[in-house]
Amino acid sequence: MKKNLYFEDVEIGDDIGPIKRSVTDEDVIEFVSVRETEITPSRFTSNEVANSEGMPEAIVPGPMNIALMSQILTDWSDTVCLLKIDVVFRQTVPHNTDLTFSGIVTDKDETGNSTKLECDVVMENSDAVKLVIGTGVIALPNKP
Amino acid sequence: MLLDLHTHSVASDDSRATVEQYIKWVNVLRRKGKPIDGFVLTEHRQFDHDVDYTSLASDDGIVILKGAELDTDTGHFLVYGISEQITENLNFSDVNMSAQNLVDICDTYGGIAIPAHPGRAGIGFAEYLDSGVTGFETVKSVEQLNGSNRPGEGEKAESLIKAKGYLGTGGSDAHIVSAIGICMTSFDKEIKNESDLVQELRHGRFTAVRLES
Amino acid sequence: MTTDEGIVYDRSLLGVETHIGTFELTREMILGFAKSTGETNPRYLGDDNGAGDVVAPPTICNVFVSGVSRPDIKLEFGEIGFFAGQSIECKAEIRPGDVLSASTKLDNVYAKTGRSGKMVFAVWETQFRNQDDVTVALVTESFVRRNKNR
Repeated sequence: MKKNLYFEDVEIGDDIGPIKRSVTDEDVIEFVSVRETEITPSRFTSNEVANSEGMPEAIVPGPMNIALMSQILTDWSDTVCLLKIDVVFRQTVPHNTDLTFSGIVTDKDETGNSTKLECDVVMENSDAVKLVIGTGVIALPNKP
Repeated sequence: MLLDLHTHSVASDDSRATVEQYIKWVNVLRRKGKPIDGFVLTEHRQFDHDVDYTSLASDDGIVILKGAELDTDTGHFLVYGISEQITENLNFSDVNMSAQNLVDICDTYGGIAIPAHPGRAGIGFAEYLDSGVTGFETVKSVEQLNGSNRPGEGEKAESLIKAKGYLGTGGSDAHIVSAIGICMTSFDKEIKNESDLVQELRHGRFTAVRLES
Repeated sequence: MTTDEGIVYDRSLLGVETHIGTFELTREMILGFAKSTGETNPRYLGDDNGAGDVVAPPTICNVFVSGVSRPDIKLEFGEIGFFAGQSIECKAEIRPGDVLSASTKLDNVYAKTGRSGKMVFAVWETQFRNQDDVTVALVTESFVRRNKNR
């Protein structure tokens, strides 16, 4: 994680990441367990249930995907304040798959009225297929 | 002249890019030495005759044109040169509209309809032709390069083009800002408006190009 | 978007706000959510022992997405549903012990086609407020129904 990134340090076109990670079966169970004390088999936790619903294998829950997407920005620097994250799920995300998370700065408030930036965020699989795309709005502090 | 013939703004339900942001990004691409002269907004299942990007476009020396991407019974089509007669004769929001009728209406009223991402599963022209759909004698071009294709979809488009002798256009199918310009269409002549675009597409004076990353 | 002609659902729900739940956010939920999503920022994890001041990660409201009783729009289409997209606008920090109240309204229903065939989307606007009646998050959620892949 970059520490102490300031608004003045960033330009439109700056890359964020990439970060490579995968979501394991255990991660998904842990995520689902936050709310459910007893895990019932679902498309998220069971390959059999996923198969019955027309999917080849269990998938990562959408709410978990958006959390991972938001981390593209919040992990960029301790100074990032995430104001908004907005994603479209274009394809289901399987467990235990190599995923690449990346972002790029696409807009910067140059009016002087705020220290907001807008970024594209993308989750891709190893075939460079974009599974989740979106945008994030963040604020960075001014340099002291 | 290089134009991205397939982009979506926030007017499309699944895009997160504003036109203003696309303009800023085109300038970023240009500063990086990547040529791009403009783009066509091909919003899903709609067309707004009233929205006017002329002043935005001229401020930055970027050509911004309007089209649409429509859902049909034979896959998705990109439509350019959309006149009021075309929107009066078609229900753009009908996801099952007759593609043959779409092509015929465009041919009649000065527009042009080109199969989008023809190699794509479920909504690609190639699959429908493979299943026995006939007609479409006036279709001469398809979208050869699409920046959002998945593995195999580009290859299927190329096979179709080779088999039918189609010409090919290029477009990014951008739904986020940074995707614009990934694939484009190179035109021999200058294009200033939708009429010019339709004319050049009909005359076949273009090739599909992919921007080097 | 397309018009909703031909899509059969309960149109009387469009724009109608409904309270869908009240949720207490515990420290354990915050730490569990943060840990399960691989958070590394100490703001969300506390110190090495999980102690100390923590705030909830920005997408914490999603802990309450499943199991929420949204009104049934009685959509007559599709064999299976998926979460299609979401936007979360963070309006205020969420802390352990906060009690969040959620209300939602149906914003739009529309059809489109894609690689999976015909799909119908239902879009909901949801607001989370805390015990002090402060809006902490504005969430737009899109759910899609389609037929199963064969």
